Parts: sequence; structure tokens; C-alpha cells
Amino acid sequence: MSERVIVAMSGGVDSSVAAAILAEQGYDVIGIAMRLAPEGSDRGGRATCCSYEDFEDARRVAERINFPFYVIDLRPDFAARVIAPFVDEYLQGRTPNPCLLCNRDIKFDRLWERAGALGANYVATGHYARIQRDGEGRFHLLRAADSRKDQSYFLFTLSQAQLARTLFPLGSMTKDEVRARARDLGLANAGKPESQEICFVPGGGYAAFVSSRSRPEQIRTGNVIDSDGRVLARHAGIHHFTIGQRRGLGVAAGEPLYVGAISPHSGAVTVVRRERLNATGLRAARVSWVDRRMRESRDLPIEVKIRYRHPAIPARLTMTAEDRAQVRFAREDPAVTPGQACVFYRGEEVLGGGLIEGPLES
Amino acid sequence: MSIYLDHNAGSPIRPEVRDAIGALLESGAANPSSVHRRGQNARRWLEEARRQLALLIGAHPRQVVFCSGGTEANNLAIAGVIALPAGRRRIVSSSIEHSSILKPLARAEADGMEVVRIAPDRQGRIQPRDVLAHIDQHTALVTLGLANSEVGTIQNFFGVSAQCQAAGAVFHIDAAQALGRIAVDVSESGCDLMTLSGHKIGAPAGIGALFVRDPSMIVAQLAGGPQEHGLRAGTPNLIGAVAFGAAAAAVRARLDEESARMAALRDFMLSRLMAEIPGLCLNSPDDRLLPNTLNLAFPAVSGETMLIALDLEGVEVSMGSACAAGAVEPSHVLIAMGRSVEIARSSLRLSLGWSTTADEVEEACRRIVTVWRRIARSGNRSIEVPAS
Repeated sequence: MSERVIVAMSGGVDSSVAAAILAEQGYDVIGIAMRLAPEGSDRGGRATCCSYEDFEDARRVAERINFPFYVIDLRPDFAARVIAPFVDEYLQGRTPNPCLLCNRDIKFDRLWERAGALGANYVATGHYARIQRDGEGRFHLLRAADSRKDQSYFLFTLSQAQLARTLFPLGSMTKDEVRARARDLGLANAGKPESQEICFVPGGGYAAFVSSRSRPEQIRTGNVIDSDGRVLARHAGIHHFTIGQRRGLGVAAGEPLYVGAISPHSGAVTVVRRERLNATGLRAARVSWVDRRMRESRDLPIEVKIRYRHPAIPARLTMTAEDRAQVRFAREDPAVTPGQACVFYRGEEVLGGGLIEGPLES
Repeated sequence: MSIYLDHNAGSPIRPEVRDAIGALLESGAANPSSVHRRGQNARRWLEEARRQLALLIGAHPRQVVFCSGGTEANNLAIAGVIALPAGRRRIVSSSIEHSSILKPLARAEADGMEVVRIAPDRQGRIQPRDVLAHIDQHTALVTLGLANSEVGTIQNFFGVSAQCQAAGAVFHIDAAQALGRIAVDVSESGCDLMTLSGHKIGAPAGIGALFVRDPSMIVAQLAGGPQEHGLRAGTPNLIGAVAFGAAAAAVRARLDEESARMAALRDFMLSRLMAEIPGLCLNSPDDRLLPNTLNLAFPAVSGETMLIALDLEGVEVSMGSACAAGAVEPSHVLIAMGRSVEIARSSLRLSLGWSTTADEVEEACRRIVTVWRRIARSGNRSIEVPAS
């Protein structure tokens, strides 16, 4: 009997083509769409996930290729494991990455449980990343062939056991190839626009979303100050700010100012000149390694990506505790943002990653 | 071959129904309202179907109004009574009704009617005294399901009919789920209106009927031709009606025998599953239960996962109701019966029917136990994920 694979389907082009490729390769494909976002976050059928239209798109693909398809309800898990931490992180003055949480705690956790219960050997997604097995039987997570689409940044938490049971059928394809494939397969969603925004945040923006999900006493208001402590303005809550932000500061100044620090204790948002944003490195927490043997690394040469759309910076990494690390950059960088993921690469390979706690204090 | 245990969602077409539809198509029957002989032929088919359905429920054929299904019949009953110029403002119902009752009631409420929704006990029973307490000169309509589709509870309406009559209220029974499973009789229940559905008894979907004791009890909701004694305009669905009539005749020919056979299979299934699955809970009542229905809470597993895994193993069951997107929602009936959301989310409905065999039930039990063990064993970590 052929091996059973659960394909996480969003209704988008990528996961649809991923499912089609696996079916073609002879896998026993079962399509699963996850209901994640709470009611009311559907933005009128625009590019987002979890809308009725998206489920129908996924269902049509399953009907066309002829494999079973189910919608599962993971809204309670998503609310507890993605939305609540997302809101909480913003209230603490950090800038969370919900896609990372969704991969780690929903797709490669809750969906995995379902996969096992359904007798599946693998879970597959439409992510652009590659998995390779070496001669010793170890699994390596690699960047996608299409560097513009590479999503390995969001996948660094995958362990050996998970990589052994994960398939990324699109890892060696370019987006154009995927679209062409979708057209060849007659998939109606071949030209569907990509979702770029956070799937559960309605049009009004993330700050309004965080406000709407918080009690008034949780919202930390305070002052916008300069590096000498002078008060420049009042603000409506630290969750409106992110490190490196330039617009919407409510401050008129002769030179461009950027958010350089956010204090959840005092509520102060410190604005600085651009050069003051530069950090020499970062402190990371919740560090995990694709290969656990690296968890005691010292002075390890790596390249680190500190945001999804940010080139990797050459750096050296030293573990400081079980799951904490210091990363020292080869050159200063202005985009160290607490709450975002820092992912450790060596060339094409993802070694591991963690969450940014803050810049290295020199 | 998959084993179909979802008859409460709709039974497969009976062979007698298939034959009747074939014979009708052969006969060249046309529009039953037409004057010519083809029309007369069609009319004969339609009236014979009406007679067969009337016989099954102890009604006069004139009291049977064909329509598109249980949902339309329920809507017609509610909207048709509200439209009477009686000035009565109260509707009495329960919290465990089908959505084709609950949604029209919510709409009526928004339009200014007073809606009383009686809560059931833990067995899904509506106490007659709770209903009686709300029937007086202000009551326009009492609308209640005879048997609950999700848990199979059969209601006792003792005294409701008499008090409705005394107070001048209309008594509507939704018998969509009871028909074909137990004896249903309009005289015995004393109802004024009764909803009947074709596809629950082996006719195709798209045909239903409303029993109307007296045409003055409702106001037609579709404006158009004078069909169905003026209570439901539109050229009748002749194929559907003939199919419904044939299904009714098949039910009537061996109802007692079939009910007993269902009940024996159901009891076998329950005792086998109880023996093999420690902690299995029966949500259905232990008596006055439809002979074909079991609602069970499976310990330590998600019903949604069970449902999907069983489908992949070739056992078709159901859980609550599906949202537009196709995800299953916890049953509002189980919640109303005092079950927690967790219990409701781990519950499945198994419903048998005319096509179910003893071999199928035995094989289904085997597969259900296997699937449950696999899912329960997988627990919260079905593929091992070591901490990185």
C-alpha cells in the first residue's frame, strides 16, 4: 500500500500544487484545511486564509485530483497558541512573528497529532524549503531553490524527528514553475494573489487588533522620548511601535527619527537617529537546533537572518545556557527587533534559530 | 465497500423507490395540472403517492401537502401560522430542534414574536408540563420535534394536543426523523401540522410534505398556482412525490419488523462498543430511543479526528452539523442536554437504516474499535516530537 501523507491545504496555489505533485508521485494524499482564524477576520474574500472561498478552492483541487479532503477546526488551539501570544508580545513591547508560532505550534504540532491519528506517514505543506538526508541518516533543512520565495526562515524549529516525517514538494521549484504547474493541472487558483498580511488581523491593522483584544489596564501608554530623556509626545500604547519604525511617531523633528527602544515597564518609547539603531549583535532565547549536537556550540561561525526579508549577516554564535545564545555580527545592523526570529544558517543550510531578546550590550 | 451509518442524514434510495421512478418515467406522465390525458395520467400518479403517504401517517390524502423537503415544511408551518390574522404572539418550541425550526424562530423573534424554547433534560427529553405551562390564549404555535435527529430521543407530548385545542393554538410536530423509524400517526399525536421528509426514508432529497389538518390553519407562503389545495404553489415534483409514496409504502409494509431489526442491531452495536471501549458514554437516552440511532461520546479522542479516520477506514458516520466550510461544529443538542463542549466535540452519531446488515454492523464495530484505539494511543503526541 502506498504511503499516506496529510497535505495542509490553504486553498492557495502553493499547497494545491504540493498536493497534486504528491498525488502524482503515488502517495495516498489526504487534504486537510485548517480552520484557524476567529469569525469575522475574513476580509471580504481578499487574499487571506481561512475564508469560505479558500476552503472551496482547496476542495475543488481535491475533487479535481480525486483525493479525500477535510476541514478541521483548530480555532481554539490557534487562539491559545498563536493569537494570545501575538497580542501579549505586542503588549510587552516586542514584535512577534505569528507565522513562526503557527508553524511550530499548529502545523507541525496539532496537525501532526492528527496525522498520526489518521495513520499518515508524512505531513506535507506548500512551504518553499528543502529537506535532505545525509549518508548517516541525518536530516538537513535547506533553503529553497527559489531564493526569492525561500521560507526556511519560518521552519527552523523542525527537529530531526519532524524532518524525517515532513515533505516540502515545492522546495526545488520556482514560483513561476509552480504557477505553470497549477495551470497545467487546470487548477482554478493558478493566478490567485498571494497572501502577505497576517491572516487573522482584519483590515484595520495589527495595533487596532491588539487593542481590541486587550483590557484597558493591559495597554501600556506613555511618552515618546529622545535619548536624553526629553519628552517629545504622548502615545496611546507601546503596541503601536516596533523597533526601527519611522512613521507614525507623532514627533516633528528636523532629522529622521526611529524607534530605538521600547520599555514595557515605564511605557517609554525612545526615538533615536538612524545610526543609533545599529547593534553589534543580539541575545537569543528559546534557541533550538535542527541537529541537537550543536546545542553547546561556542564561537560558531554562522550567518544569521534577523527578519524574513533581510539578508543574512555573517556572525559568530556562542551558547550561554541550555536554550540561550549570544550572536555577534561581523558588521553592525539596525534591525534587531525583540520578538522576531533569528535564524542561523551556514550557506544553504538552516542550523537552528531562536527568538530575539534584544541587542548585545556592546 | 464502505459501511454507511448515517441514515439520519439521509437513507440510500430503496429498490422499491428506484422501480417506481423507473415506471413513472416509462409512463410518459406530464404536468399533473394539465387537462389532457398525459396530465391526467400524471395526476393519477401524484394522487396515488399522496394516498400512500397519507396511509402511513393515518391522514386523509387531502391533508397531505407535498413540498421540497423537511426544511420547507418546517418553514411553511412556522411562517404559515404567524401569517394568520389571529393576533397571538407566542411560539413554544425547544432548544434541541433542527436548524430549519430554530432559524425561522429566530427570525420570528426578531420580528416581534415571543419565542419560548424549552430546555431538555440530560436524556434530551422535553417535559410535557414545561410545554403546557406556556400554552394559553396568547400562544399561536407549539412546534416540537417528535424524535431528535442527533441523539434519537423520542418525545412524549402527553396533553399538549388537548391543551392546544382548548387554547386555540396550532400544534406542529416535526416528524422528519421519526418517520420510517417508529409508528407515526397524526390522530394519535393529535397534531394539526406535521413535517415529513422523503430522503430520511429512502426517497431522494428534494421531496417532503406537510400534513395540514385543516387548510385554514396556515397561510400559503409561495404565491402562484392553485396546486396542493392552494397551500403550496408550483408544479409538483412528480418524480419526488412518486418516490416518496413508494418509500412510504415500503416502510408501511414492514415497519414493526424493521424497527425490531434496527433495535436489535443498535443494541448489539452498543454492547459491543461498550465492552471494547472503556469509558465510552451513551449520550442517547436509555429508553424511548429511536431504534436506529446511537450518539456516543468517545473517551480521550476528538470526534472530528474519529470521523475523518473512520471515513478513511470506510465507516461513514456524523458529528453535530457541518458549517458552510465543511468543518464540524459541536452539536447544539448535546450542549442543550448539559454536555460540555469537550464531550460534544468527542461525540459521534451512528444511525442505521433499511440497507444496514448485521455483517456490516459487526464489521463497523471492529473498525470503530481499531480506529479508537489508534487515536487514543496516539494521545496528544501522535508522531513523536522530541524537544529540540
